[in-house]
Amino acid sequence: MTLQILINGILKGGLYGLMALGMSLIWGVMNIINIAHGAFIMIGAYITFLLFNFTGIDPFVSLIFSSSIMFLIGYTIQRGIINLVIRAEIFITLILAFGIEIFINNAALMIFSADVRKVKVSYGASNFNMFGVTIPYVRLIAFLLAIAITIILFFFMTRTKSGRAIRATSQDLDGAVLSGVRVSRIYAITFGIGTALAGAAGTLWAIIFPLSPTMGGSLTLKSFVVTIIGGLGTMLGPVIGGLTLGIVESFGTNWFGTTFESLISFSILVIILIFRPKGILGKGKE
Amino acid sequence: MKKSLPFFNFVLVVFIFFCFSGNVVAENIIKLGSSISFTGKHSRSGKLYIDSYKLAVDTINSKGGVKVGDKTYKLKLIFYDDRSDSSESSKMVEKLIGKDKVDFLLGPYSSGITIPDSLIARRYRIPMIEGGGASEKIFNKKNKYIFGLLPEAGEYFKSTLEYLKTVKPTPKSIAILYADDKFDLSVGEGTKKIAEKMGFKIEIFEKYSEGQSDFTSVLTKIKGKNPDVILVGGHTEEALNITQQLKELDVNPKMLSLTVGPSESDFRKALGKDSEFVFGVASWSTQMNFKGYIFKDTAEFINIFKNKFKYDPDYHNAAGIACVSVLKYAIEKAGSLDREKVREALVNSDLQTIYGTIKFNPNGQINGTSIVLQILDGKVFEVYPNTLKKSVYPMPPWKKR
Repeated sequence: MTLQILINGILKGGLYGLMALGMSLIWGVMNIINIAHGAFIMIGAYITFLLFNFTGIDPFVSLIFSSSIMFLIGYTIQRGIINLVIRAEIFITLILAFGIEIFINNAALMIFSADVRKVKVSYGASNFNMFGVTIPYVRLIAFLLAIAITIILFFFMTRTKSGRAIRATSQDLDGAVLSGVRVSRIYAITFGIGTALAGAAGTLWAIIFPLSPTMGGSLTLKSFVVTIIGGLGTMLGPVIGGLTLGIVESFGTNWFGTTFESLISFSILVIILIFRPKGILGKGKE
Repeated sequence: MKKSLPFFNFVLVVFIFFCFSGNVVAENIIKLGSSISFTGKHSRSGKLYIDSYKLAVDTINSKGGVKVGDKTYKLKLIFYDDRSDSSESSKMVEKLIGKDKVDFLLGPYSSGITIPDSLIARRYRIPMIEGGGASEKIFNKKNKYIFGLLPEAGEYFKSTLEYLKTVKPTPKSIAILYADDKFDLSVGEGTKKIAEKMGFKIEIFEKYSEGQSDFTSVLTKIKGKNPDVILVGGHTEEALNITQQLKELDVNPKMLSLTVGPSESDFRKALGKDSEFVFGVASWSTQMNFKGYIFKDTAEFINIFKNKFKYDPDYHNAAGIACVSVLKYAIEKAGSLDREKVREALVNSDLQTIYGTIKFNPNGQINGTSIVLQILDGKVFEVYPNTLKKSVYPMPPWKKR
């Protein structure tokens, strides 16, 4: 049973990691705490739901669509809206992101209504047994995809010109500008990638859980906690943070009861902040 | 053209006459107010009551209105949106009473919102009839002005437990999961009490946060203890998650029953075949057949409702209709709009509606029980106390379906 609880936690943790990856990226590079992150995840989930219901596209395939559509949305939002206040204090961008979140949530409520939806795939909840542990296929695949996407992002950031420019901008803004990096374009790309990751997380979420327009709020909170736990400024941070949170939640709720899920996540947050203020892997600037 | 002028004058006179007579009629209006969830997390359930209140009022008005003594009154509904928030709802109820001067109140949706609203109704001594809250916390405050049409939350699973005594092999152990809102707290605690009294062993008794999506931890625990029956007091989204995650983790109880979910078409649509054999409870189902008060019978109500709103009514809708019906009955019985006299009539009401017989307990809650439902062949059937279709117990394991 202990093994089963551990596996439950790891599978959930992978998804948490992917959820937080986009938030961590945007935060680390642009110093924006994107409160609307959960709302972007929600849009990604609905894109998957709509594609599946109207065209029958398999939700795992729609990963490509949801992330590219979300990239465009993110790119546009950064260029059109956030760019206007990018040099302002962090509170201004925070409030702006909050406004975007409220707008998206209410628009989604109007368009989709508060009805609970579900992506109903034939292989939905099927599973297999290994060493006495029951593993649901969809959760396993979602976990593997989340890890794969993280690895792809890692290579993008280290091996491509745009990736290096993003990292340069995050490490030393003036230096990057002097070296000929077009910062506003890099910011837009970063924000686009961040929301694309949110879209991908939304797709994987939609395969496992039902969706409703108001689901974003709690997801933003989870992403936030995972980002802090993992630490800013590293690719591996969100993954470690996600796995930590997933495993601790899984054991914690098993021992203390399901109501304590939020209490447990915030307790780890506090503990991490006391002992490692920059997160487990964090090396961000003070 | 000239010829038609006298005719035109005639029309004008008639028109003016109607305008004035309209004003005369307008004085004979009974105002019913409700602050209810048009937006926010309860907007879906709120709509069920809004639709029902409207249909009931329209039907009563088109059939001649309410007769008080030798006068006839029309009913008028005044709604405000409480945004699914109890403090907003309290403000709106005050507004209905203070600004709109409503004669009587109809309830909001959810126990959490009904509790503060009912206390305002008591303060102003205005009878409130509600069909959206069943927590005992609404009815244990010695409030003489609240009347509820859902059976007591603590007894929601009573009929299910009785049903479990009739099946073979007799189940022994039960796991109870419930959300931490006011209604489900009552369901959880009440069910535990009754189940223990009936000799069942409670293996797991656990609360979860409203809106929780991942239940793998507690379901793993349940899998370890392997109870015969899982009873869940929660909401549609959680019901979906729990059912699917039971299958994901290959947990095979002999019975899974959910308070909310199985009676709604959303639940069956979202889960498809996996919703098969799941049990539920309700205070009413479309298969019941009662003589009505404002409708001829249940069948006529369902027909009219479906034509108008394009969805199948469920027990929320029927309770909403019953709210307005019993109010009309009480006003006519009292023969007055005096709130104390109407309240008196409500206390003593004995009325047959499409929702069933309405009689209130001394605490203001309806004297009734819930029925046991099961999803069979993609449809919901009452399986206890009346057997409209033979129930399938135990539920077949996931892998053998």
